[in-house]
Amino acid sequence: MNSSLLFLIPLLPLIGFIINGIGFRHVPKSLAGVIGSAASLGAFAISILAWNAFEGQPQVVKLFDWISIGQLTIPFAFQIDQLSLLMLMVVTGVGSLIHIYSMGYMHHDEGFGKFFAFLNLFLFFMLLLVMGSNYVIMFIGWEGVGLCSYLLIGFWNKVTNYNNAARKAFIMNRIGDLGFLLGIFMIIQTFGSVEYLEVFAKAANGSFSINDTVIVTITALLFVGAMGKSAQIPLYTWLPDAMAGPTPVSALIHAATMVTAGIYMVIRSNVLYSLAPATLGVVGGIGLLTAVVAASIGLYQNDIKKVLAYSTVSQLGYMFLALGVGAYTSAMFHVMTHAFFKALLFLGAGSVIHAMSDEQDIRNMGGLRKHLPVTFWTFFVATLAISGIFPLSGFFSKDEILAHVFEHNQIMWGIGLFTSMMTAFYMFRLLFVTFFGEFRGTHDQKHHLHESPATMTIPLIILAVLSAAGGLLNIPHVLGGGESLAHFMAPLFELSKQVNPDLFEGHLEHSTEYILMGVSVGAAVLSILFAYNLFMGKKVVPAADKDVTGFPKVLQNKYYVDEFYEAVFVNPMRKLSDLLYSFGEFLIDLVVNGTGRLVQFLSGRLRLLQTGETGFYVFAMVLGILVILAWNLLLK
Amino acid sequence: MLPIVLLSILGLVVLFLGFQKSKNLLLPATLLVLAIVLVANFLHWNDMPSLYFKNMLFENKFTMAFSGIVIFSAFLIVALTRGFVDDESAQPAEYYTLMLFSLVGAVMMIGFENLIMLFVGIEILSVSMFILTGSDKKNLRSNEAALKYFLMGAFATGIMLFGMALLYGATGSFNLTAIKGYVMANNAPSAMLYVGLLMLLIGMLFKVSAAPFHFWTPDVYDGAPTIFTTYMSTIVKTAGFAAIYRLLSGSFSGIYSFWWMTLAVITVLTLLAGNITAVYQTSFKRMMAYSSISHAGYLLLSLTALTNQSQSAIVFYSLAYSIATISAFGVLMLVAKETGVHSYENAERFEAFNGLGKKNPLLAFVLTVSMLSLAGIPLTAGFWGKFFVFSSAADRGLTWMLVIAILMSTVGIYYYFKAIIAAYMREGELSAIKVSPFYRLILIATTIITLVFGLMPDFLKGLV
Repeated sequence: MNSSLLFLIPLLPLIGFIINGIGFRHVPKSLAGVIGSAASLGAFAISILAWNAFEGQPQVVKLFDWISIGQLTIPFAFQIDQLSLLMLMVVTGVGSLIHIYSMGYMHHDEGFGKFFAFLNLFLFFMLLLVMGSNYVIMFIGWEGVGLCSYLLIGFWNKVTNYNNAARKAFIMNRIGDLGFLLGIFMIIQTFGSVEYLEVFAKAANGSFSINDTVIVTITALLFVGAMGKSAQIPLYTWLPDAMAGPTPVSALIHAATMVTAGIYMVIRSNVLYSLAPATLGVVGGIGLLTAVVAASIGLYQNDIKKVLAYSTVSQLGYMFLALGVGAYTSAMFHVMTHAFFKALLFLGAGSVIHAMSDEQDIRNMGGLRKHLPVTFWTFFVATLAISGIFPLSGFFSKDEILAHVFEHNQIMWGIGLFTSMMTAFYMFRLLFVTFFGEFRGTHDQKHHLHESPATMTIPLIILAVLSAAGGLLNIPHVLGGGESLAHFMAPLFELSKQVNPDLFEGHLEHSTEYILMGVSVGAAVLSILFAYNLFMGKKVVPAADKDVTGFPKVLQNKYYVDEFYEAVFVNPMRKLSDLLYSFGEFLIDLVVNGTGRLVQFLSGRLRLLQTGETGFYVFAMVLGILVILAWNLLLK
Repeated sequence: MLPIVLLSILGLVVLFLGFQKSKNLLLPATLLVLAIVLVANFLHWNDMPSLYFKNMLFENKFTMAFSGIVIFSAFLIVALTRGFVDDESAQPAEYYTLMLFSLVGAVMMIGFENLIMLFVGIEILSVSMFILTGSDKKNLRSNEAALKYFLMGAFATGIMLFGMALLYGATGSFNLTAIKGYVMANNAPSAMLYVGLLMLLIGMLFKVSAAPFHFWTPDVYDGAPTIFTTYMSTIVKTAGFAAIYRLLSGSFSGIYSFWWMTLAVITVLTLLAGNITAVYQTSFKRMMAYSSISHAGYLLLSLTALTNQSQSAIVFYSLAYSIATISAFGVLMLVAKETGVHSYENAERFEAFNGLGKKNPLLAFVLTVSMLSLAGIPLTAGFWGKFFVFSSAADRGLTWMLVIAILMSTVGIYYYFKAIIAAYMREGELSAIKVSPFYRLILIATTIITLVFGLMPDFLKGLV
């Protein structure tokens, strides 16, 4: 394939953005959606071509030298290798499905064209992020997707709460970005380059020992960036609030693609991370903590999207847990399967919300199975997948992570297993309460109930197939598979294996693996049965907010973390800023305005020199000449 | 060499076209000429540096880049003239011919190898400009400006000729290389050489309006018809800086320690005079005149440093500055024409832009980008121009000058933003202005160039 075609991958969405963005209100609705989706599908098609043409060696395609300052040159180039290809397929593939879905979902919205413009812009930045051949381009993409996330969370900008959610997401991400930026600066300082291939070659040339302070600092700083973008403790609270955006946005940005950027970045930098097991320990610890905390919050949420949001945070924690034990492939595997089933869950939730006339509280739903059969069955598949039931995709990816964690530390494995039990419980709670039992909504809602149009159900069906079969990508040896994904990705980790072979050691007996699988499936089935008993057998409906007491109330209120942040960070910051403001009002304004006045005063004086008389001008010139000559010839 | 020949011959052709009754052919013909010359200019891009006209003219990538900038700027400016159809007393054929001829002078100034050529080039350019400045014959201010320009210019030419004569007396040659040889060979050059160099420099600094030889600039720029103000502030300035660079780097880099302090003081004076006086101006056009003085200061900063980077820095800066200036004047001409209908007084003041953003979003955007570029705000070409100039000064260790230059560029933000504020934040009764598609295309092109070079500066810098 001609390598210049690669530039079309990000360019097509950009063109879509420009057409729909500039032409907003002029491009007819029917066309806007088609343009947006075509841009995405085009990028997907070229990604497939790139995939087929890939020959196993990382290929850097340079567009132009972008910035060169001193010794540092930053080219604008793309790197095509196993990792970027996988991400390309997920981003453009799932992205295309969600574009198509949005044509149905957003049909009644005034900002239809604007929505597609933003989605395309998001895709453009996300593609830059995964295709860039250096950290600076990754950073541009990183910031760009943050911007799009902000724009799309606050898409319905007439609601103040939504704007606040958008701002919260933006600010929390900025905190993480600062870490990322510092990390890039340290990379430049240490390696004198930001190009992946150069940086990793230099890192692996033996001049850095394991847990070298510099590398640990760099990786820790980069991880701070990942914490923000991928919503890990302590920077996770923006993601549940981000559900204010339209549901396709939640599916695309806040489940399938953008939030996995942190995982992508760690895998991309695997050489650095393998050199810093100390950081990996932190990564794993934070991942596990996030997984269990978010899952426990998910147990008591009643907003259909909030449950999914906490589930996303929890699953992202899982991925970081995998990274923490050096199981880069497993993390990537889970990124992919999660993209399938979580996008499906969100889109299914969207379909439900669409049918329920924007109702999101599951306590007002129930019995939707009969009215929304396609949504129900696809949602059911995704729920099984995320719960880790054999042989759906979630089973394989989750089991792989748990197996690697087991090699590493059995207590962490225990907590991980407990988390996956909670996951199965709250997902089936969601399923039972929403789709089974009696309808609990208003009469109007009941009357309006309908299955979504084909543009929405077809993506659901495709994603359901992927969620069910996605596990085939990487069937473990013990189940007679070939671990094809692991083989495919192996070249990415060669340098890591070279610098830190210990990280990749450890092998489980087949019998142990069987037992682990059995245990995890058994545990999941157990909690599903528990949920069945509770919500199908006893027909429990989650209680109204005021009736919840004790620990469940703490959970329902998300451990009061938002309130804690408000009291400890936000309010003192506001007070400080008030203080500085009043100080600034007085002193800084005095200095600034004073300088301004001084310049204006001088300007008023200097202006008078401009008399308009030629005689004076000639005089000034002669004076100038005399002074110059006298000074140079007599005084020197 | 080819551009000089083509410009002279085709300039005459354009003059003869003026005998036709219909003036409609003149604008396309002139644009075609400029396009041909622009292509011809770059024909020998990959050749080795070479000498022409009995070793009187020199050609390498640097001179070609500079010639390219002036020819391209001329193309854009001619495109903005709209054939002078609005003005019944105008003489389009003569104007276009003079513009083409003046380019001959500019190209000679850029490529001179012999001081005689420099003189001839400067005079061809200047004399054309004297006439064009006074081309608005019925306007008193235009006449006054032309006369002032002529008187001051004649005086400066005298000084410059005196300097050349002294240089000849000291070195026995007008040739840059020969003068360089003399400077290198003599450890203690005579006072005659020093005086000659200083006089010659002063004459040239006058042309680029460096302080304290800048006083003519505001009056002349303000009085001249705006289209020729644009021409002067871009093409004359660019050619002048190329000439000073060629002179200093070609012959006198060996006695850097002698002249740098003088140039440094002039640079600082220019920066102060240009920026600080601009603050007080109420006329946008007059502000642009002071702004051109201040940009002369930044370019001089790079010449004072005279490092390896200076060459590409001034090429980039000249282009960024010229393009942004053309954009800004392009918008001003449209707005002034519209406002001038109601009140002649306000036509060229900042207030003329009031309410531009509401009814004419494109013009407001073009104006904004050009102002941002002139102010040196990132993502525009002007930012990188300043950056390269400042970094060449930093290489030479001229920290104190850098501090002044950076302070002055913050002053610049004040007066450039006045136009943006007027366009977007002030209410005004400006109605939607009719812009011909071609005019619109030129404005969009200049804006895109400014933004593209702002995003990828190395694209141009790598060439030279």
